[in-house]
Amino acid sequence: MIKVQVNNLTKVFGKKAQTALAMMKEHRPKTEILAKTGATVGVYDVNFEVNEGEIFVIMGLSGSGKSTLIRLLNRLIEPTSGDIYIDGQDIAKLSKEGLREVRRHKMSMVFQNFGLFPHRTILENTEYGLEVRGIPKEERQQKAEQALKNSGLISFKDQLPNQLSGGMQQRVGLARALANDPEILLMDEAFSALDPLIRREMQDELIDLQANVQKTIIFITHDLNEALRIGDRIALMKDGEIMQIGTGEEILTNPANDYVREFVEDVDRSKVLTAQNIMVPALTTNIDIDGPNVALNRMRKEEVSMLMVVNKKRELKGYITAESALEARKTHRPLSEFVDATIRTVDKEMLVNDIFTIIFDSPTPLAVVENGRLQGVIIRGSVLEALAETSEVNEDE
Amino acid sequence: MNNLLTNQLPVADWVETITEWVTNNFAGLFSFIQNTGQAVMDSITHGLVQIPPFIFIILLTIAAFFVSQKRFGLTLFTFIGLLFIYNQGLWTDLMSTVTLVLISSVVSIIIGIPLGILMAKSSKAQSIITPILDFMQTMPGFVYLIPAVAFFGIGMVPGVFASVIFALPPTVRFTNLGIRQVPKELVEASDSFGGTAWQKLFKLELPLAKNTILAGINQTTMLSLSMVVIASMIGAPGLGRGVLSALQRAQVGNGFVNGVALVILAIIIDRFTQHLNKPKTVTSKSMSKKKKWGVTASVVVVILAAVGISSFTANSTTDKEINLAYVEWDTEIASTNVVAEVLRQMGYKVNVTPLDNAIMWESVAKGEMDGMVAAWLPNTHGSQYAQYKDQVEDLGANLTGAKVGLVVPSYMDVDSIEELKAQAGKTITGIEPGAGVVNAAENTLKTYSNLSDWKVATSSSGAMTVALGQAIKNKEEIVITGWSPHWMFAKYDLKYLEDPKGGMGDEEAIHTIVRDGLKENQPEAYQLLDNFKWTKEDMEKVMLEIKNKKDPQKAAQDWIKNNQELVDSWKK
Repeated sequence: MIKVQVNNLTKVFGKKAQTALAMMKEHRPKTEILAKTGATVGVYDVNFEVNEGEIFVIMGLSGSGKSTLIRLLNRLIEPTSGDIYIDGQDIAKLSKEGLREVRRHKMSMVFQNFGLFPHRTILENTEYGLEVRGIPKEERQQKAEQALKNSGLISFKDQLPNQLSGGMQQRVGLARALANDPEILLMDEAFSALDPLIRREMQDELIDLQANVQKTIIFITHDLNEALRIGDRIALMKDGEIMQIGTGEEILTNPANDYVREFVEDVDRSKVLTAQNIMVPALTTNIDIDGPNVALNRMRKEEVSMLMVVNKKRELKGYITAESALEARKTHRPLSEFVDATIRTVDKEMLVNDIFTIIFDSPTPLAVVENGRLQGVIIRGSVLEALAETSEVNEDE
Repeated sequence: MNNLLTNQLPVADWVETITEWVTNNFAGLFSFIQNTGQAVMDSITHGLVQIPPFIFIILLTIAAFFVSQKRFGLTLFTFIGLLFIYNQGLWTDLMSTVTLVLISSVVSIIIGIPLGILMAKSSKAQSIITPILDFMQTMPGFVYLIPAVAFFGIGMVPGVFASVIFALPPTVRFTNLGIRQVPKELVEASDSFGGTAWQKLFKLELPLAKNTILAGINQTTMLSLSMVVIASMIGAPGLGRGVLSALQRAQVGNGFVNGVALVILAIIIDRFTQHLNKPKTVTSKSMSKKKKWGVTASVVVVILAAVGISSFTANSTTDKEINLAYVEWDTEIASTNVVAEVLRQMGYKVNVTPLDNAIMWESVAKGEMDGMVAAWLPNTHGSQYAQYKDQVEDLGANLTGAKVGLVVPSYMDVDSIEELKAQAGKTITGIEPGAGVVNAAENTLKTYSNLSDWKVATSSSGAMTVALGQAIKNKEEIVITGWSPHWMFAKYDLKYLEDPKGGMGDEEAIHTIVRDGLKENQPEAYQLLDNFKWTKEDMEKVMLEIKNKKDPQKAAQDWIKNNQELVDSWKK
């Protein structure tokens, strides 16, 4: 069931729009078009559809035209050409009154800097959408209070926005949009102004909300991780054009062109992280000084069953297990005879991606060395953790 | 190109033509505005004056206390300042000024805020209106008085008209600025929820722009207050009149007192409007709403009561009312006060209005003023008489043997205008630019070849006498436009320069001029004005009294007491 369909949508700011469009067709860069015509192409020939109940994420760097695109959908910015169908009705052709009806009943918007009215209380802000519809005071306050209850802000209803934290303000913005009970939510970088922890929280809340209320959500972000976390499908924009539309999986696995590939690589940390980013300090024993007792003592204290073995100059000699150390104590032989030198080493500049394959074959942790000297070790846990912090990317190796 | 350089464009003529056309075509509208405006303002002033000053002062002090959030500075200042004004006998003037400022501010707001909104909503409107506002703000305020008089005659209404033009721009600009400064995201938010343009304006833009708009309104009230002084030249009553007459008669003390009164009023208005502009804290929000209603309601009640009282009393005023115009020359102050006093004794309510010379003639010709006893004929006011003689009635001379001429101190060794060469920096010290004697002096410069590179420096009659006093003290040379009767001949040793070509005119007489139809409306007053005649000596007595710091009205009363017989003969 298609909810929103966009065909050949274009927006050019300024005069000489036709010249600018002709230059766009020749794929001239934006800067050149601006210099020649004085016109800026905000959005060029965009086509996509959004299904009912889907979270459709539009992603791109700043200046890619994504904010213009979302404003074209509810015509805060008038399109230069193209069609926008919502439930089969062409928004671009609507009269002012018709458009107002659509805005009041079908679509609501959430803004990057919350867009709360500083002179109105939280409750008055939340009921604004209902107020302009002319709904009686009793009823609209009831609805607004319900929306605030849902987001756990009811106790703040008589405060002014500037008395609340950013996260709370954005919850109010969301509550204000939801109080209208719209079918479509437009979210313009809604979480970009929040700090990372709150951001993650809000993303989770949005996912929960989507599970409960089944709205169609068009979400704008410049953050791939955010897009991958919440988006059912993602559209990636550059210079006003859509480069690729697909699920997170599709975009990561089959980038349509170099730009998408670079964009994705930038964010895929497994291709950026190196050994030294994820190594942990090594537990060592100095073969020139320590005996078996010292080594066993250290193992007991650190609750491990093996140690890296180095000499005075911290050059890596190998590793020693608890069994071999016990053997050394029993037989009164020096530790050096029990050192296992078959340890896998990696260079500290090696990419996590490549460490992956080595570590799964290796029975021992990997030693990170530089000029033969031990820098640290890599254990399986730290690799997994590093990757979990990015997206759940299944590497296609 | 040469044509352009040599032929002057008749811009002044065009403007005259347009003004005349407007005046003729909208005469009905203008007189309607003039009459209703005058009636409204008179009743407001009347109502304000009706409130006993002490009660008024206490009310305002209490208001200041609450407005300034219970700080004592403004409260004390309001109290002491208003008491001072009352003590100086300027209470009625103060109330007239308040009315003028109030009405011009209200009119400016009513016109300005919608205009500002229009500008904020339409960039085209902004690009059209902005240069007009620049023009309005940089044009000297005096210029607005000229069409104001042409449209509305004299009095408060043209004063308000000029004040509004002069004071309107800040309100418009600040409204525009305030609305344009509303963050774009908030405007988008309102639109995205389907708010109409009106909903957006009243629920978002105006509340957020309120403080900026109030700052503009504050500027507007200040500007209209400054226009009050200038508007007094065309008969707007109030504190400005005191300042202007002090200037024309070079009375430092009077000027200072009136000026200080204006300053006090300005500070009070400024602080009040600024405090209304203070951002409210949340806790006081609900309280302040109630309070606001209370304050508004009480203010409305007071105003209604005042208007009610005044309309009630206005109906009971006598129909024996007479308006006399005069120019602030020492001769005219003396004669007009004497005539006004006699009329008052006959039971008339007399309003005397000081005006500029040309405007005085025009107001009598138009019938806005009933008459004047200050027409110097045939020469000094010859040009005005020629212009208006069909619209006024000349009752003949009330004083003969008046003389106008160029006057020098006796120690200068010139006796005739022809002997002037390079004395006194080739300058004739004159009086107000519109005065007849100044016109005569300028004609004289043209008729005498030895004066071809001389000039007439205009100032005011008061300034001229001060300059004369200074010159005599320092034994410097000075040539002035003089006239008698005048107290300066009694005080200094002066002489008239002979005028062989007669450019300055021979002996003159001061005539009484009244509007057409006064005979039918006010026969008694007409009779008195017709009979009013006295001598140079009589007049100089009164003038010296006034010069020696006696109140003009008091001086007139004293003179009448001493000359009861002569006065009685006028009434027959």
